[in-house]
Amino acid sequence: MPHIPQETEVPRQRPNEIPHNEKLLSLKYESLDYDNSENQLFLEEERRINHAAFRTVEIKRWVICAMIGILTGLVACFIDIVVENLAGLKYRVVKDNIDKFTAKGGLSFSLLLWATLNASVVMVGSLIVAFIEPVAAGSGIPQIKCYLNGVKIPHVVRLKGLCYKCPSVPYQAVPTGGLASSMSCPLPSLLFQIFEYFRRDTEKRDFVSAGAAAGVSAAFGAPVGGVLFSLEEGASFWNQFLTWRIFFASMISTFTLNSVLSVYHGNAWDLSSPGLINFGRFDSEKMGYTIQEIPIFIFMGVVGGILGALFNALNYWLTMFRIRYIHRPCLQVVEAMLVAAVTATVGFVMIYCSRDCQPIQGSSVAYPLQVGNDTEQHSGPCWLFCADGEYNSMATAFFNTPEKSVVNLFHDPPGSYNPMTLGMFTLMYFFLACWTYGLTVSAGVFIPSLLIGAAWGRLFGISLAYLTKGSIWADPGKYALMGAAAQLGGIVRMTLSLTVIMMEATGNVTYGFPIMLVLMTAKIVGDYFVEGLYDMHIQLQSVPFLHWEAPVTSHSLTAREVMSTPVTCLRRIERVGTVVDILSDTSSNHNGFPVVESNPDATQVAGLRGLILRSQLIVLLKHKVFVERTNLNLVQRRLKLKDFRDAYPRFPPIQSIHVSQDERECMIDLSEFMNPSPYTVPQEASLPRVFKLFRALGLRHLVVVDNRNEVVGMVTRKDLARYRLGKEGLEELSLAQT
Amino acid sequence: MAPPWCLCWALLPALALALLGLAAAAGPRQTPALELAEELAEELWSAGLPGDLPELEPECRSLLAAFAEGSAALTGCLGRRARPVRLCQGCHGHYRRLLAQYDSIARAVGNSSESHNCAKSILTSDRLQIVVTLSEFFNETWEAANCANCLKNSSEGLSNSTEEFLDLFNKSLTCFEHNLQGQVTDLSPNNYTEVCKNCNETYTRLNDLYNHLQRMNRQGGESAHSAHLCIDVEDAMNITRKLWSRTFNCSLPCSDTVPVIAVSSFILFLPIVFYLSSFLHSKQKKRILILPKRIQSNANLVNIQEKYS
Repeated sequence: MPHIPQETEVPRQRPNEIPHNEKLLSLKYESLDYDNSENQLFLEEERRINHAAFRTVEIKRWVICAMIGILTGLVACFIDIVVENLAGLKYRVVKDNIDKFTAKGGLSFSLLLWATLNASVVMVGSLIVAFIEPVAAGSGIPQIKCYLNGVKIPHVVRLKGLCYKCPSVPYQAVPTGGLASSMSCPLPSLLFQIFEYFRRDTEKRDFVSAGAAAGVSAAFGAPVGGVLFSLEEGASFWNQFLTWRIFFASMISTFTLNSVLSVYHGNAWDLSSPGLINFGRFDSEKMGYTIQEIPIFIFMGVVGGILGALFNALNYWLTMFRIRYIHRPCLQVVEAMLVAAVTATVGFVMIYCSRDCQPIQGSSVAYPLQVGNDTEQHSGPCWLFCADGEYNSMATAFFNTPEKSVVNLFHDPPGSYNPMTLGMFTLMYFFLACWTYGLTVSAGVFIPSLLIGAAWGRLFGISLAYLTKGSIWADPGKYALMGAAAQLGGIVRMTLSLTVIMMEATGNVTYGFPIMLVLMTAKIVGDYFVEGLYDMHIQLQSVPFLHWEAPVTSHSLTAREVMSTPVTCLRRIERVGTVVDILSDTSSNHNGFPVVESNPDATQVAGLRGLILRSQLIVLLKHKVFVERTNLNLVQRRLKLKDFRDAYPRFPPIQSIHVSQDERECMIDLSEFMNPSPYTVPQEASLPRVFKLFRALGLRHLVVVDNRNEVVGMVTRKDLARYRLGKEGLEELSLAQT
Repeated sequence: MAPPWCLCWALLPALALALLGLAAAAGPRQTPALELAEELAEELWSAGLPGDLPELEPECRSLLAAFAEGSAALTGCLGRRARPVRLCQGCHGHYRRLLAQYDSIARAVGNSSESHNCAKSILTSDRLQIVVTLSEFFNETWEAANCANCLKNSSEGLSNSTEEFLDLFNKSLTCFEHNLQGQVTDLSPNNYTEVCKNCNETYTRLNDLYNHLQRMNRQGGESAHSAHLCIDVEDAMNITRKLWSRTFNCSLPCSDTVPVIAVSSFILFLPIVFYLSSFLHSKQKKRILILPKRIQSNANLVNIQEKYS
């Protein structure tokens, strides 16, 4: 290998600044502390709380889950109602305008109106996202995934995020499952204000996964799908009780959504309108399938996988471009507005060019807002879109909320769509959706990809019926469903949860098998080309994400090579000044510090005694728990675990803590606050071994010791996430400031 | 009341057998057999046997006959008025009567005993339940046609707005006819300019009225189902529109192509400008690399690669 000598030379002069690429890990992201610090205070508290108290804690957990469910349901209702009304308003205004101008000519004005309306609506949503709360961008699923993986994404589970996300969502008129789930995740933090005991990252994680499940469940009316979604996409740490609690939360959320929507729609307590996105009933008699169709479904899965891979690849380039060049918030807003305007224009031009006119047969028009000289049209001297008494079927596809379009594609009787219309629609929508995902608006990919898939699936079904001379079994609605599943599976690469979600959303269990086959094929084919959209975006965001396993070819790497060294250690009884200096050092923004024996003499080495976290140190400094003060009886009371909890989750920065010059000379005794038994590994442990320990226990710091129990290094998330299996074997990502 | 019951149950199989035998023996001569059965039933009835006899009480029988006639009349009416659709105008009387008849069956109580009223013996005593099926069919048809929309609230006769609409509709049809007759001499099939000119006013009024009705209806009814006008009005409008725009070619396609293309290409051009300019002028975001604190940190990757290449 000729390039190796060069490479060994180069590293020293490696350029400090590089353009953004996918092989980076950002320093911005920190881990969550899932490991419980079993210090003296903890033991004392445990001793104090009796058995009954623990039982109330358990009951409180259930109460919190119920509340998460209820709140999620209410949020989903709010979105649903607002989106429905806003979309209705928008289409009505545009339609009236088009009607007006069709008579007089000057249709370009209505085009401008539609584009401006779209753009301005998106502008509001985008301004909120770009300037106030960047976390609210996108579908939210990647963020939730990272959070549940153990990465602290700033603001993702804050109530503030929800507050900004809520108003920004309805403008897109695309409420997706991911959105709903990501919006419900902040809800637990609201509850933490009430339930003080649960202010720990571990508890919060459990409730966030319940929130994610409840969100999906509310969006699709799929409680089981929600739980499985939470399991598949998110929760890295799982047990039976948690599953049962999460299921409870999702059921409650579906129920809440049902009851509130039933009241809203005027038939109170009729609980049969599950989910925001309802795929409608699939009649198993009419839409049944036979064994001969299985190969066809599998073929559709292949198509879905290829199209999904194409989608992801296009979106990858676009996102890279966006990160590199469109990073200023004002540019992002402009981009979002442009996309909105272009979307409107494309829709308009498609409707304009389409000559696919279907006669209005009274009931065939589902959404009353059709363009064209339809039932509520005027009688102008000329017709633009369609003659009197007919409607433009392209308009039904574009001039509708995407959920309704999906349902129409599933359920409209054969022959309501012209193949040409469907083809053009699929093509345009594919590129538009690809372009839209990743904008700084709260818009997801779920519904658009369902729509694309439904469109080409239906097209497929129509051509199949044509080839087989109109056989009974080739019902286009069924193929639309399979196409939707294939497309979505090809883009997001979810398997188990998506199968169950689709199954529950269609209300037809017998479709489980073909949907599973379709999704499986789509995933296999798609994975051959590129990875799933969510994983891709996580990588592009330089998030240190830990997968289930270490890269397979990494056994020869040992902890010694992986770890960071040297480690900033603290002595068991440390000078306050040193602690403050270490904490204030911006160049090494560490969060955990191994605690070593204070005064090693010749016979004793500075062995590892424990581990203390930055947050704990800050609380200690804030309360001035210094040895001298304790000796002088200046401290009123002993510090309790509650003091640490009260500061959660926003510990004050070190700069805000004032330590006088005298106090700097004091000593601080860490022995009762540190975690006395941190997890350690020997230097020789292989990377997969370290990885397994780290991942399974959800650690944040793993101390590497030599055989004399001296600290030699520290393994953190970023050290492990660096190694990745690339195209040419194992590759290492670099750390970067972003 | 136990003994008559038992008797009844005991008698039933025998009766059935007798009937079967009779029917089999009768063969083609069905009417006599049926008559015989009726007579037998009659006899049994006069013998004071209450219960589920093959024959209805006389009151029930008359109710059933009335229902049968009513439904025949309604079916005939519906069928005759299927095309062009005049269901609601023509058949609402029949429908109303049938409803009343069904109601009287459902509510009627025979005089023999309370548990054996007509409702039970007519509506629910067999698997087929033909009366229920028929009445359900009529109700569904009526609902699907949305006839309630054109009728007065008490469903006696058409509502004023519907009358008005139908008047106007007839007027425009007459207008079409009138003007077409004048054109017969012309003999050019596509030249209907006369019609278009002369009937434009009526047609416009008709169209406006229809739109108005529809808007009113949509505001009134909240659920999606009642969003339609009744089928008569809808169909009349559809026919007229089809005549107007397809047959007479009175409304011509107007094209607004040039400005639309101009505006849309302008909008489509904007993102290209935007992306190009941000590519050229925006400073590319650079990431500052952090060198990790690590033992032989930079040689790591090379090590790995050596190991695996």
